[in-house]
Amino acid sequence: MPGLNGPDQAATDGLSAQGVFFDGRSSRDHPATLLLDGDQVRVRLGAQTEHHWRADQVTLEAALPGVRRSLSFPDGSRFETPDDVVIRAWERRHGRNRLLGGVRRLEGSWGTALGAVAVTGAVLWGTVTFGIPALARQAAAVTPVGVLATFDRETLQVLEDQNLIAPSGLSAARQAQLQSAFRDVSGWAGGPYRYRLLLRDGEPAGGGGMGANAFALPNGTVVMTDQLVALASSDRELTGVLAHEVGHVTHRHGLAGVYQALGLSLIVTALTGDVVSGATFAAAVPVALVQGGYSRAAETQSDTVAARFMLERYRTTRPLQAILARLEAQEGGAGGGPDLLSTHPGTEARIEHLRQLEDAAR
Amino acid sequence: MTDPAPPAAPDPAVPGPPDLGHTAGQAGSFPTSALSPVVTTYPVSFTGSAGEYFRLWIVNAALSVVTLGIYLPWARVRNRQYFYGHTWLDGHNFEYRANPLKLLRSYLVVGALFGASTLSQQSERWGWLSLLLALAFALLYPWLVAQSMRFQAVNTTHRGLRFRFDGSVKGAYVAYGAANVAATLSGGLALPWAWFMQRRYQVNNLLYGSARGNFRGDVAPMYLIALRGVGLLVGAGLLLGVPAVVALVAWLAGNGSDLDSMDWEILATSGVALLFVAVAYVILIALNGVAWQYVRAATMRYVLNNAELGGVVRVGAAFNPWRVVWITVSNGAAQLLTLGLATPWADIRRNRYLLEGMSVRAIASLDGFAGAPGGPESALGEAATELLDIGLGF
Repeated sequence: MPGLNGPDQAATDGLSAQGVFFDGRSSRDHPATLLLDGDQVRVRLGAQTEHHWRADQVTLEAALPGVRRSLSFPDGSRFETPDDVVIRAWERRHGRNRLLGGVRRLEGSWGTALGAVAVTGAVLWGTVTFGIPALARQAAAVTPVGVLATFDRETLQVLEDQNLIAPSGLSAARQAQLQSAFRDVSGWAGGPYRYRLLLRDGEPAGGGGMGANAFALPNGTVVMTDQLVALASSDRELTGVLAHEVGHVTHRHGLAGVYQALGLSLIVTALTGDVVSGATFAAAVPVALVQGGYSRAAETQSDTVAARFMLERYRTTRPLQAILARLEAQEGGAGGGPDLLSTHPGTEARIEHLRQLEDAAR
Repeated sequence: MTDPAPPAAPDPAVPGPPDLGHTAGQAGSFPTSALSPVVTTYPVSFTGSAGEYFRLWIVNAALSVVTLGIYLPWARVRNRQYFYGHTWLDGHNFEYRANPLKLLRSYLVVGALFGASTLSQQSERWGWLSLLLALAFALLYPWLVAQSMRFQAVNTTHRGLRFRFDGSVKGAYVAYGAANVAATLSGGLALPWAWFMQRRYQVNNLLYGSARGNFRGDVAPMYLIALRGVGLLVGAGLLLGVPAVVALVAWLAGNGSDLDSMDWEILATSGVALLFVAVAYVILIALNGVAWQYVRAATMRYVLNNAELGGVVRVGAAFNPWRVVWITVSNGAAQLLTLGLATPWADIRRNRYLLEGMSVRAIASLDGFAGAPGGPESALGEAATELLDIGLGF
């Protein structure tokens, strides 16, 4: 061949590989030899033709297991070879594909693959158990109180529109008693919230409502139904329930729940690779289980708040234990049907937790 | 050596017999002809292995998780590169080469918009924002699809030549906008027609080098496929539903309920009825999924068997759509039971079955295609369609 570069310097550090060359203008494959020598990259086609490039003009795709390597050149032509050893040596010498080359080495052994399974599992578990709740707690803590007020207003609106709650049937005197108990609890808890107790009828349509229940909205609105008041055998029991609900307010559980759901949906999206799969049945079950776990943690935390209040005022948590047990018995008796997502062990654990808190205070 | 690429590409809007007489010295129609040119069949082969891909997949998944998602585009590109690189035709493999950095930027844009939409749904004051974003997405959807196909095509290389996609934006709005609206307005009656429009848009605007794709398919087979899907849904629904209702009624009668004065309110709140409805719901969803998988596989097979390139190459797919349904369903079960760890095995299994039955028949040598310059492409459409799982059919 014409000696454009002077004498052929296929010196000691020269590498060569057999492969195919495509000129980028047609799909014809030309058998070719790649000659790598210092900064020079040459592709020799037969005995006649030779193409020359500098190393920095060459684009080299990172290696993939079992796939032939390809070098592409500025004019759209390319050289492909199964000779990974030679290309890897050149790659190392020129500092190419350092990161993805490392990835390629990790992909090569079963040991790192098993390690990757462990790392992925651990990171996902850690994110779901600690990361998301912690982030949601932070986000809930810095959310302005004005946003909380919107939540309260909108949620009440929905409940009233759907006829789930209606004005209370309790006497004015009874209501005043309960309001006074609530003022005691909310004054004790403090915080920037607009506390108010709404006593409501939980079964306005005669059935199908929320029944004996109490819940808290983010900005301090606590709703307690007449049915729960009727179920209680003493006001201490109801005060315990109110303290529990106020615990939800001060820990901002409602808002944290919204952020947790958002975080979970992001994780599911990242795992399944798209948004739509997150709404499918296969993803719904684990998401529901994880969210059930989050809400159990929130209940435990609020029980701790309620226990602190009750131990301060009454030196016992027994009234709250009693009403929890009665609620459980009532739900278990009325439903009858198979309850797939039973809260039964949850309630027992909560009562046990309250008992332990009382024992610890002695 | 003949040049298989027509000097002037056949008009994609005019369906009809493929333009085959353009090459001097090659008379007659392909593949049957008096002066029949030599038809060579090239089988497609797939050399990926589940074990090898599992290691690649899990290492890249771990890196994505550890980098909080930043590495995700690199992982996606690498996964896809593995499949392309192990797909062989006539001794040469395919190559996928997308710029992950470009993808990352687009992922961030799409992710931010999706996050904003989800957050604004939570409040009444910002609810309009999510509506606005949904509306913008609906309006831009055909454009995004065209962008995505452009991106996928231009990043696919075989035998040193790039694929390209030059479908017009107007064409995308007809095939993915107007056709989908018509399908919705007609209560699904126009849906097979919409599939036809979409597949034709995809194939007729695909170029390999300067050779253009041509879809020789028709609308009627799409309706047949849809009818078979609906038939499956109705047939299986009746087969399972009628005995179930009979059993429920018999159970009620056996429990002493008087059917004439049956108290539906009590029945509705009773646990058994609830369980019954739940099981029926799950079965219906599963059946619906199976029917859709069948429609997808059958459409893919039909399109592949009716696609040709540059008038000299035809694709043939021999896979059985029902087998594809079985593979998809059993894959899903395996993935569920292994908490997703079977995903690489499932992907390889499905891909191998689809590709092993595929072949390319050509009346000219495959090394006779000419190249053409490609244009710039944006990754936004690709990111949007991938993240939002818009099925493109391929």
